[in-house]
Amino acid sequence: MKFNLRVWLVALLLLTAVSLAACGSETAPTEPAVQATSPAAAPTTEPGVEAPPAEAAPAAPSGTLRVALPTFPNSLDVSSAAERNAQNAAWQLYDSLVWINEAGEMEPALAERWDVSDDGTQYTFYLRQDVTFHNGEPFNAQSVIFSWERGKRDDMQWSDRWARAVAMEAPDDFTVIMRTENPDPLFLGIMAQHWGMVPPGYIGEVGEDGFNNRPVGTGPFMFVEWLREDRIVYEANPNYWQTGYPLVQTLIFRPIPESSTRVAAIRTGEIDIVNRLSAEQAASLEGAAGVQVIRYPVDRVFYIAFNNLTSGIGQPTEDVLVRQAMNYAVDREAIIEALFDGAASLSTGFLTPGNLGYNTALDPYPYDPIKARDLLAEAGYPDGFEMDFACPAGAYTNFEQVCEAIQGFLSEVGIRTNLEIMESGRYWDLEAEKALPPLFGDSWSERSGEALPRLLGALGGWDASFSAWSDPVIDDYLERIGTTIDREARADLYSELHAYMYENPPFIYLYSPETFEAIRTDVRDYYPRAAEDYFLFQTRIDR
Amino acid sequence: MKYRLSPFPHAMQRYLLSRLVQSLFLLIGVLILVFFMVRLTGDPARLMMPREASPADIAAFRTAMGLDRPLPVQFWEFMRGAMVGDFGNSLHYRAPAMQMVLERLPATLELAAAALTFALLVAVPLGIIGGSNPGSLWDFLARTVGLIGQTVPNFWLALLLLLFFAVNLGWFPTFGRDEAKSVVLPAVALGFFTMGQLVRLTRSAVLEIRGEDYIRTAYSKGLPTNIIYARHIFRNAAIPLVSIIGVQFGYLLSGSIYIETIFAWPGLGRMIAESVAARDYPLVQAVAFFTSAVVVLLNLLTDIAYAIIDPRIRYDQ
Repeated sequence: MKFNLRVWLVALLLLTAVSLAACGSETAPTEPAVQATSPAAAPTTEPGVEAPPAEAAPAAPSGTLRVALPTFPNSLDVSSAAERNAQNAAWQLYDSLVWINEAGEMEPALAERWDVSDDGTQYTFYLRQDVTFHNGEPFNAQSVIFSWERGKRDDMQWSDRWARAVAMEAPDDFTVIMRTENPDPLFLGIMAQHWGMVPPGYIGEVGEDGFNNRPVGTGPFMFVEWLREDRIVYEANPNYWQTGYPLVQTLIFRPIPESSTRVAAIRTGEIDIVNRLSAEQAASLEGAAGVQVIRYPVDRVFYIAFNNLTSGIGQPTEDVLVRQAMNYAVDREAIIEALFDGAASLSTGFLTPGNLGYNTALDPYPYDPIKARDLLAEAGYPDGFEMDFACPAGAYTNFEQVCEAIQGFLSEVGIRTNLEIMESGRYWDLEAEKALPPLFGDSWSERSGEALPRLLGALGGWDASFSAWSDPVIDDYLERIGTTIDREARADLYSELHAYMYENPPFIYLYSPETFEAIRTDVRDYYPRAAEDYFLFQTRIDR
Repeated sequence: MKYRLSPFPHAMQRYLLSRLVQSLFLLIGVLILVFFMVRLTGDPARLMMPREASPADIAAFRTAMGLDRPLPVQFWEFMRGAMVGDFGNSLHYRAPAMQMVLERLPATLELAAAALTFALLVAVPLGIIGGSNPGSLWDFLARTVGLIGQTVPNFWLALLLLLFFAVNLGWFPTFGRDEAKSVVLPAVALGFFTMGQLVRLTRSAVLEIRGEDYIRTAYSKGLPTNIIYARHIFRNAAIPLVSIIGVQFGYLLSGSIYIETIFAWPGLGRMIAESVAARDYPLVQAVAFFTSAVVVLLNLLTDIAYAIIDPRIRYDQ
């Protein structure tokens, strides 16, 4: 009797194990056939390589492209899509009046051409006449005015981007005249990146809620469905005004927050494009069947900020010699080697090599602790000093270790810091109230190709939320740059400012990271940009 | 023979009614607590705006989203809405918070139920065999499995399962909830700890019960072993088991945050983490409320299960 019972229970256990394994082995996903070209032979692709000229591709769009996103988009409306990944997903649905091509030049999009007045404050756009929104509604000047009035509402996160145009009128259905307050050299760039055109009739009909649930634009892809936190599905717009595009029939975004899972998914072929991988993860994918690794520098600077507005008043860091000394004291190369496997470049300032006016005559501060000590002695601190230092936790890859390393380097020249690593939400609250210690770490990225927005953001003094430093010389430069339309003249001003900020550093300049992405080898014409921007209308999948 | 309209004794009906009322007050208390706690975490407006936004823009945004209204006003609106199930719109997603929660609840419940099923299917047989044969190999196995289950961190196990079963063997998808078998790896990772606990619990319960006098009596009466197990041992061992399951389900719901992140499982867990980090007040409130409601409901069901299993428990103390 006992024997029977035990056998029965054991059998149940075994049956469970067997059935779990069995239901796993049916229809196991098969590895896609390895492509003829060896993926290990071509590990990197340069960004900024010009996309092939936009000839009309004769074939109809085909295939399904699956892209993994590291965060969940909060909105598919570009005026309220909060961060980069949401913007990337959203922008496939829309167009602006102009577009920045791979070479950084302004090209016509929904506007065929435009004129700028002599004083640089009036723009006249002549719109394309053959464009319709995904719901069939025609695109015209009224759509532009409506989109502008909606975009600059106070409850839109990006309202200040729309508000750069202070007035707008439409003399006829396909002409729009806009005015800016001052000559605004960044106006067109900001329009290209933030002014997604939306349909007035549709929004009037379904309301904001309806638009959120089912967004409509003029873009290469049309919205199909959005199962929040599971998938976003788009399909090709058959009436797209750029004939011959897009090149894939179905576009699917899958949010996968854990980077190891993204690596696993690209290996098994469940996903075609993944981004935000670390150097180690990219290295583990080198040579993986069917996978190609892409690597490019991101337009982002990491820095340790000084403060002369609040907690830094009266501190040794107000002295320029001290700030220079601190730049000499940190061995950035060692940090990059140890923490990023060398996948970052040293900063010379708040401009990156791709930014307009980058001053190529400047070399990064070398690691020179002896010089640092000399400068400190000259400034009157031969024995160093003590200072508080803060750093956000969990915000940027390895940044906590970077700050700890910096603490170590500074202490070697006599600057003893009390480092506090705090939760990032609270950190940014304090930063915005200018209540952080006189030394604090942070980072800033830039999409527009020019450093002005982040310079204003970090050095705008009391006018900018996240600024802790104000220097009237810098303010003067920024104002001049902000109103100089001529690109060459602006580049010169940037160069001068770059050199000035090198000699009078408001930051300890650290590094600009590289980012790693991976794609399946049958994905073609995928061109991510330095701001982790990408446009998928030109991407194909050979499957 | 007295004729009863309901299968439950009157005392228990009164008990259950009072438990129901208690639960309602509990839920109201949860609503109040969450409302105030989430507002202690700080200002959501600045987190939602781009970095270059000026203080003036942020203030305008805050007003436009209704975040600067006086606290009593916000509280009154919140409670009023909550009574009819309207938790407002998520600040981050601009969609109705309760609707978002309900959309995801099934996925999280499915995962928790699958995890619990896995835990039970492994733990109960193993625990019973182990407890019935103290000192044997099965007993050793039960104790070891219990220990491993309770010490292995679930996110580490999740990554291991992912690499081995999904990438190397290709038996399961690496992420998502696309197919029926997508639930297996997340369920195993999530339920592993519970399995460990239940093995140890079942084993020790069976061990203890087998030593009881009434079991010895049953054997000496000549009852067949399978009847002894079915009528006496199972039912008595089930009591602590059922009580733990109620608690464990709450743990499973919250532990799912890691597992849902790793496997990109579209459930509530990930949404909880994100909404707290973003200080998305309405969403945090909705999620906290629904999670509490599920746990409270489960406890209620557990109490009913007690009554069915154990006729000794009296409710009219």
